[in-house]
Amino acid sequence: MTIQRQYTLPHCNLVLQGLSANDSDPMSPLSVLMNVECHLPGATDATLTGGREFLDSLVAAVNRYGQQLLSGVVRPAVTPGAQPPMVEVKPGDGNYHHLVVQQQPLNQPVNDTNALAPLDIKLTTVQFYDLMEAVDQLLADTQTLPDLTAQFQAVPRRLVKPAEPMAKRAAPAAIGAAALAATGLMLFFVPPPVVEPTRPEQEASNAGETDAVDPVVNGAAGTLPGDGADPVAAEAAVDQLDTAPAITDSEALTLLQQELTSRLQAAWEQDPLPSEDLTYRLVVSEDSDILGYKYQDEAALAAVDTTPLPQLTFLPVAGAEPVREAVAQFMVTFTAAGDVVADPVEMAGDDATASNGTANPVGTTNAGTPRGTTTGAAGPLPALDNRISEGDRIRQLNTTLRNRIVDNVEGPSTGESMSFRVRLDRNGDVVGYEATNPAARRRVAETPLPDLVSAPNSRLEQADFLVVFTETGVLQVSPWDGWPQ
Amino acid sequence: MSVDSPPVPQPPLMLDALTTPDLPTDECPRRARIQIDLLLLAIEALDLGGSEAMLAASRELALDSLVRGRVHLWLLRSTNPMRRYSQRRPMPLDEAKALVVIIANLARRLTVVVRQLLLGHQQLMDKQLSLDHHFRLADYLARFRSHFRARMNPRRAGVIAYSTDERLNELAIQLLEQLLLCSGVLGAQRLWSSLFDGEVS
Repeated sequence: MTIQRQYTLPHCNLVLQGLSANDSDPMSPLSVLMNVECHLPGATDATLTGGREFLDSLVAAVNRYGQQLLSGVVRPAVTPGAQPPMVEVKPGDGNYHHLVVQQQPLNQPVNDTNALAPLDIKLTTVQFYDLMEAVDQLLADTQTLPDLTAQFQAVPRRLVKPAEPMAKRAAPAAIGAAALAATGLMLFFVPPPVVEPTRPEQEASNAGETDAVDPVVNGAAGTLPGDGADPVAAEAAVDQLDTAPAITDSEALTLLQQELTSRLQAAWEQDPLPSEDLTYRLVVSEDSDILGYKYQDEAALAAVDTTPLPQLTFLPVAGAEPVREAVAQFMVTFTAAGDVVADPVEMAGDDATASNGTANPVGTTNAGTPRGTTTGAAGPLPALDNRISEGDRIRQLNTTLRNRIVDNVEGPSTGESMSFRVRLDRNGDVVGYEATNPAARRRVAETPLPDLVSAPNSRLEQADFLVVFTETGVLQVSPWDGWPQ
Repeated sequence: MSVDSPPVPQPPLMLDALTTPDLPTDECPRRARIQIDLLLLAIEALDLGGSEAMLAASRELALDSLVRGRVHLWLLRSTNPMRRYSQRRPMPLDEAKALVVIIANLARRLTVVVRQLLLGHQQLMDKQLSLDHHFRLADYLARFRSHFRARMNPRRAGVIAYSTDERLNELAIQLLEQLLLCSGVLGAQRLWSSLFDGEVS
């Protein structure tokens, strides 16, 4: 008995005709499918007909395209280049879809006379949905074709073409790598940056304590920028700095001299020691920065790298800026014995040094007293290792010292507080003394201390005393370590 | 015989129709999470009571063991990486199945509206008229745009692509078509299978 199953939707009418498996049961499934008709009212007047092959192809095409619409992932054709399937659905312009049905019977060879163009039906989304829904209802219907069931498969990863071709995807990475390589190559030729210490610009407001010999500085007389280790640049700096105002205050000069000596001594590696004395002329700022240096002979030039001068020399970066701060010049000698000796250089036209008369320090720092007393007496006192322990003796020595100074002191107050550390041996002889403030260092000649040194090489037990000449002229003498108990 | 532990809860039977895909991990892929959330967003834009309808549908379909109330639904939807408050937690496959079933169920209820909107859209496109001429469609699009902009993180690259009204309208229409396609008899299976296109091994 022939039965007919119909799936009706607004825009699709799917009709299946076949032979019933069981004549008596009206709900029995189709045993043989004879004909399939598909009407698409509103889309086409043509009726799509076919057999089982057409139906299978229609189901496959609708499944495939429906899934593509849902996911946006295009499932590639099974075998490219093979004969196109009987039914195909393709996307079209706008929101349309194209149902393409091959009308050429498969068993007929194609030739010029009987070739039929495939039927192309334009469907809206709603029309396609109705077609898909008709197919779905057929698939879900277990009483028509039980062997035809829904088989939905996700597209495997390997079948999905990447959104962009490999060359395009690799391009950003390649460009990045190339840019990195090019940058590296370029930076290879760029010298590493030299970090120059900056120092604050000093205004000429310090003129209160410095007498500006040549306050009008040539605008072009800026220090040269460049490598501090370059003796030529440093020498040029010295020449230019000749025009800078000079520091003439003797106190400042003395302080600078001491600081310079200790800095150079500390920075000098003394490896190797020079075979002869190396003498340089140094220009030093008020902050004791070495602004430039100039060798005094060929040996000094050749050996400049063994001295700490190239490292310590500070060359301002801003070359156009004229030097406006006051400077002092020193002759520095690196002796073959490993000592550093710094002497102030009197600058041309500098008459201010005469203001203190004998106070202008001349000589090495180790012999800082202008009166030429023995170096052991006036220099920094060595550590006291053989000290007097009896309290009575210390009190007695204190009195002795005080009396001797009072007896020898000349004139009234000096106007500045001066303090000294004076060392006596147990017999009351002065072994040595040391100025402990700048005023004392400068004006030691005005005190009787240089004359009082009587036993500089004494090996007896010794004690230190603090001697202070106050501003008002009062003399204070006390044991250095405090009064004994 | 004494039982030491309560019986392991079985997932609802209606999820059996959705076969577990052959994925490298047990979690939903990124695109599936985005797609589920966007479809739910489209349902909300279509139906003012959409979010309530989702919870009601989960109760009716006996899926409330998987979608446990409003907060859990929000957490599941927030696995969408485009979200402003995106959660970096995975979406398990069972919960995703439940959401797919809910989407298909709600889409079936909204079929009439969706068909009307799509037919109207097609007519406007054929006549080359702007989408404002269809009141109901313009309403849906405006609501979808505001929902999208309120909830998506505008700094994400995936969201920047939808910065203009035109792009968002396109997305809304596309989601409308997809809702229609999954409103059929086998809609849930079709949607479920499409979520893993290009992801299965």
